[in-house]
Amino acid sequence: MNRALRRISIAVLVMFVLLLINVNYLQGFEPASLATKPNNARAFEAQFQYQRGSIVTSDGVTIAESVPSNDVYKFQRKYPHGAEYAPVTGYDTLYSQSGIELYENSVLNGSDSSLTVRNFIDLLTGKPRKGANVTVTINSKAQDAAWNALQSDTGGKPGAVVALDPQNGAILAMASYPSFDPNVLATHNSKQLIAADNALLKQASNPLLNRAINFTWPPGSTFKIVTSSAYLTQNPASTPQTNVNSPTQLKLPQTTHILTNNDGEVCGNGSGQVPLLTAFAQSCDTTFGSLGMTLGGPTLNNFAELFGMNSKTLRIPMPVTPSNYVIPPSQALTAFSAIGQYSDTVTPLQEAMFAASIANGGKLMTPYLVKQVTASDLSTVETTNSTQLSQPVSPTVATDLGQMMLAVVQDSDGTANAYNTGAVGFTMAGKTGTAQNGANNTGLDDAVFTCYAPYDNPQIAVGVIIQGGGYGATAAAPIAVQVIKAYLASLGK
Amino acid sequence: MSSITAPSPALDPDSPPVSASRGRRRTELIMLIFGFALIAFAFANVGYSLKGKLPSSMVEYLGAFVVITVLGHVAVRRLAPWADPLLLPLAALLNGLGIVMTYRLAQQGNLLSAPLSSSATGIQVVYTAIGVGCFVAVLVLVREPRVLQRYTYTLGAVGLALLALPALLPSSISEVADTGAKIQIRLGSFTIQPEEFAKLALAISFAGYLVAKRDVLALAGRRVLGLDLPRARDLGPILVIWAASLLLLVFESDIGTSAVFMGLFVAMLYIATSRTSWLLLGFVMFVAGAFAASRLFSHVALRFNIWLHPFSGSNPSGNAYQLVQGLYGMASGGLLGKGLGGGQPYITPLVQSDFVFTAFGEELGLAGLMAILLIYGLIVERGLRAAMSVKDPFSKLLAGGLSFMLALQVFVIVGGVTRLIPLTGITTPFLSQGGSSLVASWILIALLIRISDTARRPPPRPIQEEGLTQVVTLQ
Repeated sequence: MNRALRRISIAVLVMFVLLLINVNYLQGFEPASLATKPNNARAFEAQFQYQRGSIVTSDGVTIAESVPSNDVYKFQRKYPHGAEYAPVTGYDTLYSQSGIELYENSVLNGSDSSLTVRNFIDLLTGKPRKGANVTVTINSKAQDAAWNALQSDTGGKPGAVVALDPQNGAILAMASYPSFDPNVLATHNSKQLIAADNALLKQASNPLLNRAINFTWPPGSTFKIVTSSAYLTQNPASTPQTNVNSPTQLKLPQTTHILTNNDGEVCGNGSGQVPLLTAFAQSCDTTFGSLGMTLGGPTLNNFAELFGMNSKTLRIPMPVTPSNYVIPPSQALTAFSAIGQYSDTVTPLQEAMFAASIANGGKLMTPYLVKQVTASDLSTVETTNSTQLSQPVSPTVATDLGQMMLAVVQDSDGTANAYNTGAVGFTMAGKTGTAQNGANNTGLDDAVFTCYAPYDNPQIAVGVIIQGGGYGATAAAPIAVQVIKAYLASLGK
Repeated sequence: MSSITAPSPALDPDSPPVSASRGRRRTELIMLIFGFALIAFAFANVGYSLKGKLPSSMVEYLGAFVVITVLGHVAVRRLAPWADPLLLPLAALLNGLGIVMTYRLAQQGNLLSAPLSSSATGIQVVYTAIGVGCFVAVLVLVREPRVLQRYTYTLGAVGLALLALPALLPSSISEVADTGAKIQIRLGSFTIQPEEFAKLALAISFAGYLVAKRDVLALAGRRVLGLDLPRARDLGPILVIWAASLLLLVFESDIGTSAVFMGLFVAMLYIATSRTSWLLLGFVMFVAGAFAASRLFSHVALRFNIWLHPFSGSNPSGNAYQLVQGLYGMASGGLLGKGLGGGQPYITPLVQSDFVFTAFGEELGLAGLMAILLIYGLIVERGLRAAMSVKDPFSKLLAGGLSFMLALQVFVIVGGVTRLIPLTGITTPFLSQGGSSLVASWILIALLIRISDTARRPPPRPIQEEGLTQVVTLQ
């Protein structure tokens, strides 16, 4: 029997060796890969044991911070301005994150490789580890104006505002309505968290959606900036004063459909030939439908993409939902696409990028939200350098388009004449859009506006979209005016 | 021819008594005290980590534990003076670590997984007292391991009845709410898992049966393809046990225990007969049965799915949640662990019972887990050593079987929670919170101590006169 017992002993030895090898493998080699596996609450919760960095605006307003707490975790995340900055900060919950909280997570929680040396020094000197602070490019005055206007001026309609510094691409304001209070998701009570999350997800208005960069609407007439850019670039001899074909009614080829202007109005003097600038200021659909058919879908597509549309890679650092231009299959649909209908859709950020390109002499700067990362000892870890995304138009064409956008606001029959210099106190250039939507265009029109100011020294470019807001000039433009006014006031101009 | 033997030093009236020097009881006591120091350190560690001070209840819990186990040591001194000196301290150390972990899990939880009730630690100490009480009772009642052989069929019937009982009782009494396994008997708020005791009863019964039948099992039969196959009529008992273990698997959803039973029986059959054919036959039959069960019963198939694909699809948040949380816990512990009280073992569901090994992995790290595995390994090794040195075949078979069962149980649960093999929920001997497993484990240690005492007891000396009388053997 002892021989059999000896063999059983060997079997037992093998069993224990297997267990030891497996445990060594699990705890010696696997931790790094297991830490990133789904549902790993431990890896996620580890961050609550350190003080996470704050998120502050460029003018020093704290919009997310961690304060000492007495419950299961040592720190509680707080968002002092709640819903107003939710599209910027995102949320930081027990289980998931969004916005800057997600895309700058590694610096905020201090695990980023750029902070390794500082963490090691803190460990040696016995200082508690702390995450780095993130300064965003947002200007609090512009953000306040955008959020207040979205909340109070639109009658509760969904919409969003983005303001850019045209010279470097810094995002000065990013507001979305309706929004949510990230404080309710920052609770350490998972039952409360799940209840709050479900309540937000159930709302038909979808408050968790950041409409500024993650939702698209038809650009309507604001797309005429792209059509005009293509026309002026392809016909170097032409100027805003060049007469272009602008019938009262445009018969579309191969269909019985007739394109008319808003309410069937005549364009310019009704002669059928008006200067480009006049057609742009009055937003004549027949003119640009006709220009679009001449230019063709592929050309319009090229220019749309130069302005940033169809880009699947744009990040601010949050990924931006692509704005779409689809090359139409027929001439008739090309006419519609040239006036911002058919399958054209844009984000409010894209709207701001249209105006910003023109304001910056034709150079489109890459939009960005993170200005700088500062370690807990206040030393700078990294600063964002502005980069050029593309050059949609030459400086000459940009100047031409600037004049045309100025005419939209300053000419007596421009569509946004209500916001001329006398009325608002600064000189603005812009383009209105009133986009039809719904089956057979039965839905309420979406109001769109893109603009920059001051005209002679552009400091800010704004894109506004109000879903179902009606005319761009009446629903979207006043919001842009308030944002610009607040921002220029904060600059002391 | 004649020979003259010199007086042995042990017989010198001035030298200390034989039991003290050769019985190694002093070693046992020193090892026990060393274990107490480790447990006290672990207790203090939990307190300082969670509250920044010594746990207020540490003196009561630790004091009670020391008294209980020292009483166990005194019983061994009196009742089994020749026993292996490592078995009691090793078991006591594991038991103490289990109490510390119960205390730790009762101190802290989060809002999804509440801490254990504040009375859990006290209850675990009471179970320890009952366990050591049964340990002493076994030493008192079983003076010679051979006497157990008389109860071969009684214990066999008792064992099978205990096994079948939960399956026959209504679910409201026998079903474990969290897992759906029907393995317990609930009396009010008190539950007993009869299978823990059935394992011991059946191990004794197997030993008795196999000792009686081993010659016929080993010798009769035909040789096919180089394998000695048993006679068909001798297959009866193995078929009965095989069927019982499969029924257990099907009706009580208790795959782990069924594997332990089957493994125990096959190993004892092999020890008894030294016939590899039995080993192969038993192994093939179990694998075939388990494979068929995985095809026929969804809960068995699910275990395989969880094992192979814990991180895919909805598994990490659904069926494999417990397994992956245990793995995450061990991963967060890494090489040296988070320290007792420093991790978040409470995130893993049922961490106090089936997954207690991962809680130690999280807080004591790889270093701690290797130490725990080596402690189990040492207990098994001491048991097997007793089996090899004891002369009586019944004791030999029983010690071998019990040691192997302990090893197999550790392999099944530790292998399960570390994803070496499919997870099947059984208790971790001595470490898991709960009474039945702890009491049964102490009885197992008592049996091993009794057998090692028999094995190490010196042979009876010839009757002789006292003093320096020379013994003359004449031939």
